[in-house]
Amino acid sequence: MKRNTIVLSITLLLLAVLAWAGWANWEYRKQAAEKRAAMAAKAELIRSSSSDSPDAMLTSSPLIGKHAPNFTLEDLTGKKFSLASYKGKALMINFWATWCGPCKIETPWLVELRNQYASQGFEILGISAEDDDLAPGDKAGWARDKAAIAAFVRQEHMPYPVLINGDSISDTYGGLEAMPTSFFVDRSGKVVAVQLGITSKDDMAAKIKKALAE
Amino acid sequence: MRIGKQMSGFALLGVILIVLTATAQSPLADSSKRSVLRGAPVEYLFPEQVTLPVGKPSPVTLHFRVAPGYHINSHRPKEESLIPTVFSVPGNAGVRLESAAYPDGTDFVLPLDPGTTLSVYTGEFKIQTRLIAPRGNQLVQASLRYQACDKSACYPPRTITVPIDVIGN
Repeated sequence: MKRNTIVLSITLLLLAVLAWAGWANWEYRKQAAEKRAAMAAKAELIRSSSSDSPDAMLTSSPLIGKHAPNFTLEDLTGKKFSLASYKGKALMINFWATWCGPCKIETPWLVELRNQYASQGFEILGISAEDDDLAPGDKAGWARDKAAIAAFVRQEHMPYPVLINGDSISDTYGGLEAMPTSFFVDRSGKVVAVQLGITSKDDMAAKIKKALAE
Repeated sequence: MRIGKQMSGFALLGVILIVLTATAQSPLADSSKRSVLRGAPVEYLFPEQVTLPVGKPSPVTLHFRVAPGYHINSHRPKEESLIPTVFSVPGNAGVRLESAAYPDGTDFVLPLDPGTTLSVYTGEFKIQTRLIAPRGNQLVQASLRYQACDKSACYPPRTITVPIDVIGN
């Protein structure tokens, strides 16, 4: 009887230790998994965040060194614009969205830079890519989008072509996972730089100069 | 006989050990399926299951987490062009959403635009809902629509599924 009690006590003690160890292990793994999850999200969020330079936000794109994929898109009035018709000009293809705060911040810089470098053969193509999963038949949704884009263009006094339905060419430009995303194209049509997110006016000017260089 | 009892005790111990080991590994396996690991900035935390009185509006607090480095617009962003965070329950879910009370947003200023204050959610936030449950068990696939940004870029509006097992009794 006494021996049974001792065996039972030891078994219960062992069970308690194991339960505690299991719980502690579970907690540890849970916390580790959460840390990894947070790190993974952050890694995807801020690219090249280990660098403090303005180029930290520059993404390495498979398009760099290649010809910018051609497209034909309409502006708000229905006028068609083709990338091919800008051959010989240095371009900044700036994808933006009405819901994008940083796009609003950088637009006045774009206007100034466009006016500063236009005489050297530089142009900007602003392309709205709302990516709001509108169905093709959702007339009210498209009308709402167009009205928001028109209001943005009026408010920001954008003097360069602003094209719509950029989502239709998103895949050819790498998926456009964040806004703003800009591609700097030289006079031969090759992409010389890509910028994801906002950096600074000076950084943009440097990329424009790179696009203008022969 | 005594030896037999001791053996069955050890067998029980072994089974418990296996169960504990399996349980200890489950959070890792679960988290690998979570949207945050795939880069989604907002994650639904809990509750996974609620028991509510049938036909009576009942409070259910939903917990969400915005991943570090991100912010999402609050339910009432300060500019019309910004997309608000909205919780919804599909009309055919069986469970009805009577109301949803959202937390106030936190003021947030982008370093590059000190003149503009945004109203955002960061970290963990809660939405206080009132749900009306029918009798029985309903797996509700509710939704949270949001639009996230970080300090330099914004990400397209997205809708995540908020799965809640609602038991009405």
